[in-house]
Amino acid sequence: MAGSSSASYIHMVQHMIEKCLIFHMSKEECVEALSKHANITPVITSTVWKELEKENKEFFKAYEERQSKQEQMSEEETNQMIQKIISDSSKDSDD
Amino acid sequence: MTAAMESQEFLLTSCEFITDPEEKGFLDFTEHGDLLDIIDFDDLFGVAGDVLPDLEMDPEILAGELSDHVNAASTITTTSSSEKTDSQGETNKKGIWRKGEEVVSKRDHNKTHVVVNYDRKRKYSSSASSKNKGIRNNELPKPKVKCVKKVDWTPELHRRFVDAVEKLGVEKAVPSRILDLMGVHCLTRHNVASHLQKYRSHRRHLLAREAEAANWTRKRHIYGLDSTGANNKNGWLAPAPTLPPPATVPSPPVNHHHFRPLHVWGHPMVDQSVIPHVWHKHLPSPLWVSETPYWPIIHNGTTPYFPTVATKFRAPVAGIQAPPPHHMVYNYKSDLGFGGTRPVVDLHPSKESVDAAIGDVLTRPWLPLPLGLKPPAVDGVMTELQRHGISEVPPAASCA
Repeated sequence: MAGSSSASYIHMVQHMIEKCLIFHMSKEECVEALSKHANITPVITSTVWKELEKENKEFFKAYEERQSKQEQMSEEETNQMIQKIISDSSKDSDD
Repeated sequence: MTAAMESQEFLLTSCEFITDPEEKGFLDFTEHGDLLDIIDFDDLFGVAGDVLPDLEMDPEILAGELSDHVNAASTITTTSSSEKTDSQGETNKKGIWRKGEEVVSKRDHNKTHVVVNYDRKRKYSSSASSKNKGIRNNELPKPKVKCVKKVDWTPELHRRFVDAVEKLGVEKAVPSRILDLMGVHCLTRHNVASHLQKYRSHRRHLLAREAEAANWTRKRHIYGLDSTGANNKNGWLAPAPTLPPPATVPSPPVNHHHFRPLHVWGHPMVDQSVIPHVWHKHLPSPLWVSETPYWPIIHNGTTPYFPTVATKFRAPVAGIQAPPPHHMVYNYKSDLGFGGTRPVVDLHPSKESVDAAIGDVLTRPWLPLPLGLKPPAVDGVMTELQRHGISEVPPAASCA
């Protein structure tokens, strides 16, 4: 009975997840965002995510790799790097 | 032979022949004296008998045009019966023209039949079709197209259109040339022109979106991952607003080779083989965004391969729906200085942008999926949910 409405609901959740993927969010962040902004039950989000992952293994595999690479650099390191960039560029501009 | 020369000239002048020197295997009519010897009709039509390609011509056009050009040996008769003396026993309903003697045209019962009896002097009213003969029919299936007023832009037809446009260059493509390159019967220049217009405006739209997405993801890289440093001498703070307004996205000619055919409304993507190797190239070149994969390139060269992303587009408009403008996206704390204080960057998207994106889905659910990932089976999802105690979706109670 809930046949097509559940299908469209799931489709909607997929849509939202994809939006989160564009933001490079992790699964957890995505679950939280959907829960907060759209009242989607976390378990639904995570289930749809998992199923999407199954259907799109390569995509998610690469996505995960990217995510982990990002996480490798901590915020501290990022800050230091940016600091360096700024000081480098201010040196450069001293002509 | 005068007759042959005449017919040759006739065809050349009356059919808007455009000789494309790049065309391989193009019959060079100017060199051969006898047109008839060149054309291998078996080759052309691929059938045992003498059957001309399927062409359904509007009887009025046919009658009008042929009357001028057909010599005394030809006769035009109209019948309203659907006789078919086709020795092949073809059962299709299109007009069939025979080379040489008897000609049968089979049409719908209601329509007037035009039976044309002609010798080899014939004129095709479609300029594209002449060029098509003898060259392409070996490779392509005979396009079973009807010459009706409204063109049905099937995926196949559209694909040919896109091929032709890309060969010519999107901005430079001219309908008459596109028509020639497509080699399709019964497409008028007008059809092509209007389709081209739609195609171009659709492309601009997509490019604008992709540009935004690319720009955003690029900046994210610069802030976080680009160890060679930003190009920006004014400090990392000002991500260069390099995006040109959507209507004027330039297309550097060299990049045309890498142009990934943008998916067009209503049609599934075809020909995915081009896509994978396109990923690596451009960063940073924010302007030429059609090369941009949907996911930013990792600088150490291990580019993720996303075949599923590209191939799964079933949505009508396969553009990335980019996150809102960059200033909304990043959370950055305000005590930024040049060289003094320590800037802190939160690489997470801002709440507003996420909220906006999600809200977009809620308010406009008909919008196409930004990535077009392959959707999971509904049953699978439902089963899984039931295991977690959720039996209906959307659940009756609101979530925690």
